[in-house]
Amino acid sequence: MPLRALAVGIALLLVCGAPRAQDFTFDASEFEKKPFELGGYIELKLQHYQLNQDSTLYKLGFYNQPRDSLDQTTLTLKPEGRLRSGAFTLNARAHLEGDWETRQFDREFRWDEFYGSYKPDPGFTLDAGKIALKWGKGYAWTTVGFVERLKDPNDPDLARQGFTMLAADYIRNFDGALRTVAFTPVLLPVTADVNSDFGSTGHLNAAAKLYLLYNDTDIDFMILSNGSRSRRVGVDFSRNLGSNLEIHGEWARIYDTQRPVIDASGKVAIKQQDAVSSFLLGTRYLTKSDATWIFEYYRNGPGYNETELQAFYSYVDTAYAQYLASGNDAPLQRASNVSRSGVARPNPGRDYLYLRVSQKEPFDILYFTPAITFIVNANDRSFSATPEVLYTGINNLELRVRAFFLVGDQGTEFGERVNSRRLELQARLFF
Amino acid sequence: MNLKRLLIALSLLIALPVIAADGNEILKKVDRNLEPESYEMYRKLINIEPSGARKEFVLYSVKKGRDKVVALFLAPSSDKGRATLRQAENMWLYIPNVGKPVRITSLQSVVGGVFNNADILRLDYTEEYNAEGVEEQKDAYILALKARTNDVAYDKLKMWVDRKLLLPTKIEAYAASGLMIKTLYFKDIKDFGGGIRRPATVETDSPLYKGHKSVMLYSQVKKRDFPDEVFTLNYLSRVEDLRK
Repeated sequence: MPLRALAVGIALLLVCGAPRAQDFTFDASEFEKKPFELGGYIELKLQHYQLNQDSTLYKLGFYNQPRDSLDQTTLTLKPEGRLRSGAFTLNARAHLEGDWETRQFDREFRWDEFYGSYKPDPGFTLDAGKIALKWGKGYAWTTVGFVERLKDPNDPDLARQGFTMLAADYIRNFDGALRTVAFTPVLLPVTADVNSDFGSTGHLNAAAKLYLLYNDTDIDFMILSNGSRSRRVGVDFSRNLGSNLEIHGEWARIYDTQRPVIDASGKVAIKQQDAVSSFLLGTRYLTKSDATWIFEYYRNGPGYNETELQAFYSYVDTAYAQYLASGNDAPLQRASNVSRSGVARPNPGRDYLYLRVSQKEPFDILYFTPAITFIVNANDRSFSATPEVLYTGINNLELRVRAFFLVGDQGTEFGERVNSRRLELQARLFF
Repeated sequence: MNLKRLLIALSLLIALPVIAADGNEILKKVDRNLEPESYEMYRKLINIEPSGARKEFVLYSVKKGRDKVVALFLAPSSDKGRATLRQAENMWLYIPNVGKPVRITSLQSVVGGVFNNADILRLDYTEEYNAEGVEEQKDAYILALKARTNDVAYDKLKMWVDRKLLLPTKIEAYAASGLMIKTLYFKDIKDFGGGIRRPATVETDSPLYKGHKSVMLYSQVKKRDFPDEVFTLNYLSRVEDLRK
C-alpha cells in the first residue's frame, strides 16, 4: 500500500511538474532598465589554411619558412558596457584576442569604442571619444565610409575599431515628402598619438553627413575635408521597391589620390590623380521560399588596374627567384612594404561583383541558415566561393562553419592570394 | 396606400446602412481597443519547435500615430540592443555590431519562426486594410479585409471579432494567390490599466511551418507620447534611453 501511494505521489508530482505546452507567462518587471549594463561575447575560431605555394602573397609571407598548410586558433573576448546617469552615458567596447598560429602566438588588447554621450533630448546627441561610425548603404563594400576603418567583404558585419573623434547628431522630423533630416558633423584629430593610422599627422579633420528620408528613400550626402586624407564627397541611397525587394547605391569622388606602384623591374613610383570616382550598386531580394539574394557591383576608382597588378606579381616572381639563388631577401622586403599599403589589402583591383544567397530555415529546420557567397574580380575573372552554414538554435550560442575556395589563374587576384582553400569553424557565446 | 408603401420602403432604405454593421468602423474600434494610438509596451515572443524546444525574445516597443513603430530587443543576450523601425511601409534593422541600420522588408523575420516583421512592427489594421465585407454571427463579426496597397505583407485577412468586446479572437492571413499564410489566435483578455483591456496572448501557427508555433505575450501596455525624432534611423542606437 505505501508503495502504491508513493507511486501515485510520484506520478502526481510528475504531472504537476511537467511544463504544460500552453503555460506561458511574462512579467516585464524582470527587464527593468539598469544604470549599468555589461554584455558581449566570447568567440573561438579554428581555421585551417591550404597554402598556395605558387602565389605571390605566399612568396612574400613564407619565402623563408615554406609550408603547405597553416592552422590558426583564435580566442576573442569582446565585452561591452554602458553606464548611465541622467543625460550622460559612458559606452565602452573592448577587444581582447589570443591568436595561436602554427608559427607563433600573438595577443592583442584594444578599445574598439570608448566614448561619452550627452543626450539632452531625442533630437540632439553629442559624442566624444573613440567611436566606430558606419556610413554608406553597401553591404560588402563602402565607398563613402570616410571616417571608418576598411570593411572586409568576407566579414562585412564584423564590429570594427573606431577612431577618436567629437561627433554630434541633430535630428528633425517633418510631415510630407521629406520626413526626416539628420545632420552629423564630425571632428577627427590626427597626431602622433591619436588616430595616427587614419592618415598624415598634424591635422584636425572635419567631416559631415546629411541624411534625408525623402519620398520613402534614404539619402545621405557626405564630405571629408582635405587634411590627413585627401578631400572627398559622396552620396548614397536606399529604397524598398516592394515588400521583398530593396535597392541601394553609393557614389564617392576622391580628390588628389595617390598610390604606390611597383613595376616589373622593382621601381616604386607614386601615381597621382586629380580626382577619381568610386561607386556601388546593389540589391537585396527575398524570394517566396525565404531565400535572400544580395548582389552588388563595386567600382573601386583608386584601385589598381590589371597591368599594375601584373607588374607587381611579375616583380615578386623575379625577387623570389633571386632570393632562392642568392639568399638576398631585400627585393622581397621592398615588395612586401609596397603590398601592405595596397596590393595585399582586400580587393585592391578596380571592378568587383558580390553575390550572397542565404536560405532561411530550409526543410523546416528552425534557426539553420545555409548560404553561399561569391566575390568576383570582374577584370581578371578570378573569384572566391564561400559556402557556409549558421545555426542559432541554442540560446545565446552562434555556430558557423565556412569553407573558402579561391579560384583563379596565375596573375589573377584570387590566384595570387596566400591560400587556395580555408576551412573555418566559429563558435560565439553571448553573455 | 401606394404613397404609404413608398414611404415605408424609402425609410427602410435610409435606415439599412445605419443598422448594417460598418466593417471599417468596427475595425477602427478594434484598433483602439487593442492599443492606444501612441503607446509603449513589452512583449515576449516564444518560438516553439515540433520537438517542444523553445526560443524566447523580449522586446520593448513604442508607437506613435498611425504609422511609426520602434521595437528594441532586450533578450536574449545575442540579440540585445537590436532595434527595428517602421515608418509606414519603410522598415529598418539596426544591429549594434554592424553599427548602421539596414533596410528590411515586411515578409522577412528578424526573430525566425512564424512571426514576420509585419507582425512584430504591426500598424493599425485600418492603416493597412479596408473592410470589404462583414458577416454577422450571433457572437461575432467576421470581417473580410483587403490590403490597401501591394506593399502590405498579407493581401487579405479574415478577422473574427467578439461582438461585445470588439476585440479580435482569430485572424487568418492570406497571400494574393489565396494561399493561407498563417492563423493568429487572440487569447487571455487582461486589464492592463488606464482603460486598456485586451488579449495578453497572441498565438500563431502556419501551414508553411508544420508543427511550429509562435506566441506573443504582452505586458505593461501603456499610453505614452513620444517626440517624432524617436522614429528615425539616427535614433535606433538610443532607443534604450526611452525606457524608464
